[in-house]
Amino acid sequence: MNAVEVRGLSRSFDGREILRDVSFTVGHGEVFGYLGPNGAGKTTTIRILLGLLAPDAGEVRVLGRDLADDDDARARIGVLFENNGLADRMSAADNLAYYAGLYGVEDPGERIDELLALVDLTDRRDDPVGTFSTGMKRKLGIARAILHRPEVVFLDEPSSGLDPGAQRMVRDLILELSRREEMTVFLNSHHLDEVQRICSTVAILAGGRIRAFDSVENLTTASSRPAVTVVLAGAGDRACETVGRLPYVTGCDGNGGNLRCTLADPTATPDLIAALVGAGFRIEEVRRSSRSLEEIYLEHVGQSEGSP
Amino acid sequence: MNTFAVIARREMGLALRNRSILISALIFAVWFPVMSALGIAAGAGDDVTVLAGGIATITLPVGVFMGYLFCADAFLREKRDGSIETLLCAPVSLQRLWEGKAAGVTVPAYLMTLISAAVTAAAVSTLTGIPVAADPLLLLHLAVVVPVWIAAAAGLIGAAQLALGMRENQILGFVFIFGFIFLIVALQGAVPGLSVTTEGIFAAVGFALLALARFIAGKVTKERIVRTIP
Repeated sequence: MNAVEVRGLSRSFDGREILRDVSFTVGHGEVFGYLGPNGAGKTTTIRILLGLLAPDAGEVRVLGRDLADDDDARARIGVLFENNGLADRMSAADNLAYYAGLYGVEDPGERIDELLALVDLTDRRDDPVGTFSTGMKRKLGIARAILHRPEVVFLDEPSSGLDPGAQRMVRDLILELSRREEMTVFLNSHHLDEVQRICSTVAILAGGRIRAFDSVENLTTASSRPAVTVVLAGAGDRACETVGRLPYVTGCDGNGGNLRCTLADPTATPDLIAALVGAGFRIEEVRRSSRSLEEIYLEHVGQSEGSP
Repeated sequence: MNTFAVIARREMGLALRNRSILISALIFAVWFPVMSALGIAAGAGDDVTVLAGGIATITLPVGVFMGYLFCADAFLREKRDGSIETLLCAPVSLQRLWEGKAAGVTVPAYLMTLISAAVTAAAVSTLTGIPVAADPLLLLHLAVVVPVWIAAAAGLIGAAQLALGMRENQILGFVFIFGFIFLIVALQGAVPGLSVTTEGIFAAVGFALLALARFIAGKVTKERIVRTIP
């Protein structure tokens, strides 16, 4: 059983279709990145998963359950929306104590101390949250979301509005949660670099549809136009003339000792190496060229613009 | 501690930390009864029952207004800033959330109303020289009828604030207040004075309104709340 399952999900608002036949799954312990431009339907998907909105069609399950009317299942889920869910007039400790009461956390004092230490807010525990910076509120919001040790935690734009230092802290914190507490993390983010660093799987939503759904590794290495970079002991441009005529090489770029070839067939790499060695070139290194998640994202989001 | 108590205690704590609402409530709790006391003292002469009835008459609208005032913090603020969405994901039913919040609003609103009643009684007693605070029917009114009406008002206003958008809330807030005051005035016109019968009727109507509030709150859905978050 997957931690999150979405099958054939559709939802419209006032006749406007926001989600159309969306399907994906998130395995236990995965850090899953849900990507898409503004208005793509990411938050709507999360709201449906959390039982806040009903789907028009399709089925959603979190830990095998429908969260809409299941208090027990909701007790196993953590949530961080753009708003941190904190009351400005209450202290950090009182805010956490409130949620500890709602979720029935045992030994709340101990857990609150542990989490305040984790997010480096121990010395501000009794200060009103209204006096905190945006980054401090975000950190406290994350502590609140994981207070009850949820099995799945939904984070909606956790780095939004944070400076680079705070973004890094949030990123490290998410990775630590995934590793140490074995939580499944459902991350809705615009920070593609952040997603590439911490997510194991991603889905790209655009125009109400899933445009790509795969592991980050597969997405960044697999391509319709696979490429390899060969580091030679000099003479990259001459090697380009040699292999550029081969039928499976669709593109070639020689720059100093580096030769970058785009292949028509991903299995043709050994043939390319054999051709280079046969022509007398000395090879120092061969690596499969990967693309950034940003390139892949833009490719899919751009592709969706013409197809609603 | 059960979730009802957790929610109610938090709302009370937040109300007591909200200086601007507390100051507004205190000004209203003192200013309105002092002005009313002049009218009560002038119109009732030295009849203790009529004086007590006059005090009872003004405590209900004061209580309803206090409920409205504190609802703005407990229901509307969380909707405006979006934190209600996080609460809706907690393992607590929407009905329980509404009950806890309504109770958390009722307690500070009731305390403010008691302060207001005490100020009115003191002002009337000072102006007439007749002690009215110990009237048993007035005490019954303050102990039973007033809190039930405040809870009903807080429950109804709270449910409406959860279900409606910001603009509708601005309009309907006044409609609710004037609706309640119209109902109180109409009831006081139909069954005037302070008697066991009068108090029984007011208590019965108050409980009916509370039941209506509970029924309406039961019809509010999470989807309705989420879709009206600004």
